[in-house]
Amino acid sequence: MKTNFDKWALVLAAVLLAALPFIASGYILYIVNLLMIYIVLALGLHIVIGETGQFALSHAAFYGIGIYVAGILNNTWHLNLVFSILAAGVVTAVLGYLLGALAIRMRDIYLALSTFAFGEAMQWVFLNWTEVTNGSNGYQMSPAQFFGFELNSDLKAYPFVIAGAALMLWATVWLSRSQLGSAFRAVRESDVAAQAMGVDTNVIKRVAFMCSAAYAGVAGGLYTTFSSFIHPESLGFWTTILILIMIVVGGIGSVRGAVIGAVIFGLLSELLRQVLSFQEIIYGLILIGFMMFAPRGLFSGARARKAPPAAATGGASGEART
Amino acid sequence: MSFSDIWLFVQQGLLSGLVTGSVYALLAVAVVIVFKTTDVPNFAQGEIFMVGGYVALFMILVLDWHYALVIPVTLLVVALICALFQRVVMERVIASKGVGVQLVIATLGLAYVLKGAVRQTGLGDAPRSLPALIQPDTVLIGDAVLTHLDLMILFTAVAVMLALYFLFNHTRIGKAMRAVGMNPKAAQIVGVSLVRIRMMVWALAGLISAVSAILITPKILITPDIGHIAILAFAAAIVGGITSIPGAIVGGFIIGVAENLVGLFISTNAIVVAPFLAILIVLIVRPQGILGGKLQVKKV
Repeated sequence: MKTNFDKWALVLAAVLLAALPFIASGYILYIVNLLMIYIVLALGLHIVIGETGQFALSHAAFYGIGIYVAGILNNTWHLNLVFSILAAGVVTAVLGYLLGALAIRMRDIYLALSTFAFGEAMQWVFLNWTEVTNGSNGYQMSPAQFFGFELNSDLKAYPFVIAGAALMLWATVWLSRSQLGSAFRAVRESDVAAQAMGVDTNVIKRVAFMCSAAYAGVAGGLYTTFSSFIHPESLGFWTTILILIMIVVGGIGSVRGAVIGAVIFGLLSELLRQVLSFQEIIYGLILIGFMMFAPRGLFSGARARKAPPAAATGGASGEART
Repeated sequence: MSFSDIWLFVQQGLLSGLVTGSVYALLAVAVVIVFKTTDVPNFAQGEIFMVGGYVALFMILVLDWHYALVIPVTLLVVALICALFQRVVMERVIASKGVGVQLVIATLGLAYVLKGAVRQTGLGDAPRSLPALIQPDTVLIGDAVLTHLDLMILFTAVAVMLALYFLFNHTRIGKAMRAVGMNPKAAQIVGVSLVRIRMMVWALAGLISAVSAILITPKILITPDIGHIAILAFAAAIVGGITSIPGAIVGGFIIGVAENLVGLFISTNAIVVAPFLAILIVLIVRPQGILGGKLQVKKV
């Protein structure tokens, strides 16, 4: 299924990322680290929304839980970063599985709003559980540990973040080609038809929530490797929306769409910080423009389809591009 | 806390809750009518409300106009913005086969643009409120204290609700709006112009938002971030059942009263989280909301 476009894009990205530490400054590396986090977050949301079609707006909450779990493990026990990231992923996965119960009872707007409510409630917890999260003063994290090696700069964290993001990207592609991936898409296209084919939709929905939350947790864990500070303000609804925008502009249901969307909007939100006064207007106009003229996203394929975008790694769109 | 204290708190909470609740109810109605006719949860609702407040502020503070002129112009401007957005942007998204999520993101784009535009005017640098419309006298109802402004808010809101009831039940346009909400294709076949009706519904939503903005801005301080209030409108709409207008009104009053009682009895800190708990509980116990009717099952 792998197309030439994917192959060359991956090679190009690998070369670029390998060369970057030798030529770029700390700030650029920080941006690249952040972009990697966005990619992992976007991939996670892609699984639950793009693949399974369940509108979960609780992504930032799981991201935040991941950050706090990894950060606290690191601060109190100076745990090896591999374990703290894993722990973040496991905790969020369990919570995601539990929250997935909502998807069994609700769909569409109702599901979106109840998960949104969960996200807002979690942000409130981050802000008010002062003993653990230090509340609105923000949480300070000491440098992450890797077998006695201290990651105290963006450069030192860089290889770990890249490796983590690459691993998650590989996992996403693997997942979407597995039987589970087919089950996800069957649920997206139709609950009833999926059930008729012998898919246990309730379990599949919860598993999709679980995977998505685990991605967000891992992204949170990776974030702690290069950043030393987190404020609950940046873990709210707008972060979830930013990730949602990434996968929608990239093309819903497409892995490469999620990656490209994450890169474009990650860069955009960072660049627009420079022109603070017009930031919101420009950002809003870009969103409106994309939705007016390319509502199916960048990677939905040049041909208009009647049905929702086909399989995530479907070859058609790639071939149309190359 | 003695019994008489509790009784006082209950009365005060109920009455103040009805006042703020009436504004939430109006905003919730705006959310519901847009959702019913265009299938879009309008995430720019809060910002539309915010713009209403700032348009009025601009005309009073900068242009120094009289209220009698400010109110109609504000209503007109906000309704026009909404109608234009639906006609120019949303119709285009619909035409290029955008579905729910694309439409939602377009409204988010509008939210960003409006917020940014208000910040550009500089009026949003400090929290402001409109000068009071009437004398700040207070009245005693039972043991609870309300200002004349509070009463005016409540009465105007109820009047708007009655006007809406009349519109939806006794006028051709209102009936057409309902028809589009029920079945757009059938409505089109019997001669309703979808484009026109959708535009009018958005304009109506803008009108309602502007009314609530003018009502509440003399009472509270507004900033460009006041759009958060839409969360409460959404909570109200969900509690009532997101496709039911009477439900939205009931939901608005429930949220307003609940908010005030939580603030008085638990802590002001817990006010923020109360609506989300309300949303979660309602959706888990009765997903279609209080007046939402039967849940629909999507056909294959």
